Amino acid sequence: MAVLTVENLRKDYGRIQALKGVSFSVPEGAVFGILGPNGSGKTTLLGLITDILKATAGSYKLFNEEPNESHRRQMGTFLETPNFYHYLSAVRNLRISAAIKQRGGDDIDRVIEVVNLTQRKDSRFSTYSLGMKQRLAIASCLLGNPNVLILDEPTNGLDPVGIAETRELIKKLHQQGKTIIMASHLLDEVEKVCTHVAILKKGELIAAGHVNDILANEDIVEISAADMNKLQQVAKTLSGYTNLKAEENILKLFYPLGTADLEQINRSFFEHGVVLNGLQVKKKSLESKFFELTN
Amino acid sequence: MTELLKIEWLKIKNYSAFIVLSLFFALGVVGANYAVYVFKTNVIDKSDPTPGLISSIKFYDFAHTWQTTSYVSGFLLLLPGLLLILLITNEFNFRTHRQNILDGWSRSEFFNVKLALVVIAALASTLLVFLTGLVFGFASGTSFSFENIEAVGYFFLKSLTYNMVALLFGVLIRKTGFAIGLYFVYMFFENFISALLEGLSFYLKVQNGFDIGNMGDYLPMNASDALLTFPKNVVTDMAKNSSVAPHTYSWLIFGLAILYLAIFYVWSRSRIIKTDL
Repeated sequence: MAVLTVENLRKDYGRIQALKGVSFSVPEGAVFGILGPNGSGKTTLLGLITDILKATAGSYKLFNEEPNESHRRQMGTFLETPNFYHYLSAVRNLRISAAIKQRGGDDIDRVIEVVNLTQRKDSRFSTYSLGMKQRLAIASCLLGNPNVLILDEPTNGLDPVGIAETRELIKKLHQQGKTIIMASHLLDEVEKVCTHVAILKKGELIAAGHVNDILANEDIVEISAADMNKLQQVAKTLSGYTNLKAEENILKLFYPLGTADLEQINRSFFEHGVVLNGLQVKKKSLESKFFELTN
Repeated sequence: MTELLKIEWLKIKNYSAFIVLSLFFALGVVGANYAVYVFKTNVIDKSDPTPGLISSIKFYDFAHTWQTTSYVSGFLLLLPGLLLILLITNEFNFRTHRQNILDGWSRSEFFNVKLALVVIAALASTLLVFLTGLVFGFASGTSFSFENIEAVGYFFLKSLTYNMVALLFGVLIRKTGFAIGLYFVYMFFENFISALLEGLSFYLKVQNGFDIGNMGDYLPMNASDALLTFPKNVVTDMAKNSSVAPHTYSWLIFGLAILYLAIFYVWSRSRIIKTDL
């Protein structure tokens, strides 16, 4: 089942085209990263599928049905900023969210504990730091243990510990079978937690699919040896790779996708009298892929 | 709707401005009427410059008390209006209008519950005025009567109008300061235009014999104001029956007041339902 199907979705702000006809779908159980630089239309896209914004053209479906508010009650959504009543405490704010969601009223203490806000749960929201507000927003998404979460830049404003915790939380939710749709401009974040990715650039979808399909279109074999000169000489006699790049203490061999045979490579070097002390296949890093796609 | 209102109550009950403004309004209604009552019985009635004329008018006797309390309390309707602007613009400031939708309200649920607040505030204000009228009526030592009770109905209409204008301004302007500022400026402006139109109406009648009523009464907020008149007495009757005063077409004013309410409703609703939040 597709949790979300987007068809030719378009959004204009006057003459500015924020989203130019985007189509993709999010399978159940995926951690779906929407990746793009600032202003590429990520938040606009999430706003459209949650009825915060009205589309200029196109359509979308939630859980394979025409979208309505009951679908939104089955999702935990955090869009752009933590939105809470400043004069109410965390607990009172979550009571309102839980009541609107029609679920999770008895879940408030648990979600506050998950994001480590138990000690401050009765403080007014206005007294919270940016990171605490962000964590409360994540807690609110977890209310009622929904099967789908929509998170817009969830680690924004968090300290390194908070970022790592959020990442772990997302991985854990994924293991529990939840579907997570997450917008981010942090490549690293998407690379670490996502199973699927859609890349947006100036409102256009330039790639969407499984992380491995999008990110790896060649195998990069990184090798190293005690004698780097000898290593490079031998490497030049080998065949099968398309490109060779020498970096400090590392040699990179670029093979067409799926053709790098590590055993064979290791054997070849050994037969030429070079003992490798490092050998591994790397997918093309998302960062380089991202720049390649968006530039 | 009960569920929606319960959630709205969670937002409101710990909001200090709600408690303060409601208290001000309640004390204001009782206090203002008490002041008028005391001033009338202790000052005017004891030193009537027009022997017998003014002191013969019993503001808080039954049959008059409904009109007097409604009229006097009408001047305080800015306070519930102010509170409603705060409650509505808070949602935009905190961006909780978005979160309510994200969490699973439909846009019309979000609008309907705000509309319900508008109506409830008007009903509560009206109930307060009814009780105040009742107490002062009995305090005047007269026996109960429903005569002139329509004044309380007109108070409700006026209250509903002020609250709907507050809803509209809140929804259109979104920023608390601007919305409150413009609410007051608009009211001042409309009263100013209304006064000009009133002058024009007198002029047209006297000069050209042309009389379509006091045109000042046909503006959005003045229409519901106009229905709630100063308690009828010898003096007002004299003014009304004078040959220079335009005729009062109450049915027209009433129709316009209802029409304006419908416009406020459609306008504010479509803003929430159809545009980006």
